[in-house]
Amino acid sequence: MLFNSIEYLIFLPIVFIVYWLLKSNYKYQNILLLISSYVFYGWWDYRFLSLIIFSSFIDYFVGKKIEKANGKENKKRWLLVSLCSNLGLLAIFKYYNFFADSFASTMSTLGWEVNDLTLNIILPVGISFYTFQTLSYSIDIYREKIKSCKDIIAFFTFVSLFPQLVAGPIERASNLIPQIEKRRSLNSTLVKTGIFQIFIGLFRKVAIADNLGVYVDAAYANHEINNGSTLLIATIFYAFQIYFDFSGYSDIAIGSAKLFGFKFNRNFNLPYFSKTLTEFWRKWHMSLSYWLRDYLYISLGGNRKGEILTYRNLLLTMLLGGLWHGSSWNFIIWGGIHGLFLSFEKFTFSKLKINTFNAFGFLYTFIVVLIAWVFFRAVDLNTAINILGKWISLEFGPIFIGDINAFVNGLLLAVTGILIDLKIFSSKTPLEDYGTKFSTIRLSVVVSVIILIICLFYSTAENFIYFQF
Amino acid sequence: MDSKTTKKLIKIVLLVLVISYTLDKLIFFGLNTISDKVMTGQSIGKLNQFLLVKDSVDILVFGNSRANHHVDMNLFGKKSYNMGMDGTGIAYSSTLINTLSKDKEQLVIVHIDTKDFFSKNYNGKDINGLKTKFNRNVYITDVLNKSNQIPFFQNIYYSINYNGKIIGIIKNFIRPGYNFLEYNGYDPLLVRDDQKEIRDLILAQKNTVDCESINEINSIALSYLQSIKDFVENSNKEFIFVTSPTFNDPCEKDNKLLAKTLRELGLTYLDRSNLFANKNDNDLWKDKTHLSKKGAESFSINLKKELQKVIN
Repeated sequence: MLFNSIEYLIFLPIVFIVYWLLKSNYKYQNILLLISSYVFYGWWDYRFLSLIIFSSFIDYFVGKKIEKANGKENKKRWLLVSLCSNLGLLAIFKYYNFFADSFASTMSTLGWEVNDLTLNIILPVGISFYTFQTLSYSIDIYREKIKSCKDIIAFFTFVSLFPQLVAGPIERASNLIPQIEKRRSLNSTLVKTGIFQIFIGLFRKVAIADNLGVYVDAAYANHEINNGSTLLIATIFYAFQIYFDFSGYSDIAIGSAKLFGFKFNRNFNLPYFSKTLTEFWRKWHMSLSYWLRDYLYISLGGNRKGEILTYRNLLLTMLLGGLWHGSSWNFIIWGGIHGLFLSFEKFTFSKLKINTFNAFGFLYTFIVVLIAWVFFRAVDLNTAINILGKWISLEFGPIFIGDINAFVNGLLLAVTGILIDLKIFSSKTPLEDYGTKFSTIRLSVVVSVIILIICLFYSTAENFIYFQF
Repeated sequence: MDSKTTKKLIKIVLLVLVISYTLDKLIFFGLNTISDKVMTGQSIGKLNQFLLVKDSVDILVFGNSRANHHVDMNLFGKKSYNMGMDGTGIAYSSTLINTLSKDKEQLVIVHIDTKDFFSKNYNGKDINGLKTKFNRNVYITDVLNKSNQIPFFQNIYYSINYNGKIIGIIKNFIRPGYNFLEYNGYDPLLVRDDQKEIRDLILAQKNTVDCESINEINSIALSYLQSIKDFVENSNKEFIFVTSPTFNDPCEKDNKLLAKTLRELGLTYLDRSNLFANKNDNDLWKDKTHLSKKGAESFSINLKKELQKVIN
């Protein structure tokens, strides 16, 4: 079920009303949330519910075993069960074809022809998100940061809670399970901030991102004939399309969760207002970047094992972070670019004894992010190389506009979105709390205006970009 | 959730419903006032001009962007109008044709493309191009309702009628792009010298049409065609269906099937898909499906001759 669908518009209020009718017993509410979450997910393909249930069952069971096991070795053995199961699911459903294809290509290069090893596998929506969520649970128990969850319904709800099930935010067990295991309440602050965030998220997705996507899709589909200027504009549009698409999704997720009395961690914090790439990663898809830091970078040794190994760890973390997004060389290169520049910054900061760059840092960060987005958006490596080649060889010329209405709408809405971001940035109140700044009447007017802007500017509903990951 | 929060939530929901509904109607009626005065541009101006002149001209052309850019109305006299519109198909044309006065003697040229008729994905969505007239023109509203293409919310929020078009409408209201009194609906495609290299690259690309999969005619497209046929039988007009040239059309099968269907319906059809097949002249083209001004002029001269033969 998509957040920007009629189904969700019907689903959300029904679940909301029944949920609060059951407020006297939070365990009944959890059962309702679990069933609703499975309906929400099963709406896409009920067969893949079995994977969520499998992953939930493994980690519920393993969590208990890790806690009870005597000695580090025994705990590690149980942790390996969780790692192998979750990463195994990812390996089969997400990466098998990529590695089989890469293996066949390598063999072919070496002169050995290998039969086609790829399988006809559908990528289950959200698998990268919920496997990371369950993994962090087992690792945190292993690290003795949290206790295992005793209530199976609560744990299964933690894994599948519908606002964050399909594309995050990747919530930590330490934040979410305690909220699931106690009575929730809804106050006017949560109502106001939740409603505001849901509607601002919808505006970001269906008005801004989808309109920008029209131009981006057209330009990238014809990358061979479009010149460097057109592809540069399209990539800048894409930078904002993916930002407004994914942050819009996160806003709807966080806002929806608030209506059920849950507080999710924020996932975006105006990332393009960053002077360094390091800062960018503290503001972009925060739930993933902190996950990678805590469970990968630190596990690899972080910055505790000398300068060279720190750079290696950074690069490896970002390469794997890239691979997490999708099974293609483009994503690995995307991660590699970020890893290289993060290492460069670490090196520069340590040598120059500084913490950040000056105002030019905004431009530097945006340019690096933009170049990396080419690999992220391009359908294959050749496309990305072709686009970058046009920029390097200064193949610039008149910009292809295409559908003038779509172009102007996209541009106008993106500027509006950026101005709203600037307003929030200058107000020092995070978007998550911005709803509190409004009185009931003002909030109603703001939401009404957003509804009308959506009516006037919404573009063809597309899947959220992060659904493919 | 305590009663105070419940009351606040209900208050917000009710206020949003009332305010958004009221604002929507204000915007809708405001935009109606503005858009009725707009006679230029594809957002709404061309449609307004068509509704204004449709029963006073002698020759009308319907169809998609290929009709718009290929049929040069300057060759067909002053009392002619080209209602070809970008991104539209048979559903859009059929609906507009049915708004014509049945008694008025006219020659109606309907440009059709095989794409709509043999695509499994064609669902008549192009009729949405008429949504600016939803709840404003009785016939169009009725057809739109029957088409199931109107989102549920459009019955509540009327401003959806103007979705994606507001900038174009306001732009043409403030500064019309041309003098509509001198406009006959034909928009030639000019290819600048700096565009020729890209155009040649496009033309050199291989066609990827799967001709084998072309078997059945799309039932939705057929139903709109049938609707035109019903109109033909009850009107005082001459109808000619035309397909204009395509660059290196890779399939013959679809053209033959479409011709057979039109023949069976008793409709006159001129298939000129391969008119320029043997002319090795890229200057006739803007891209693989669109003729340049030079190509359009050449095609229109040929079409005029053919029409004279058919009509006589």
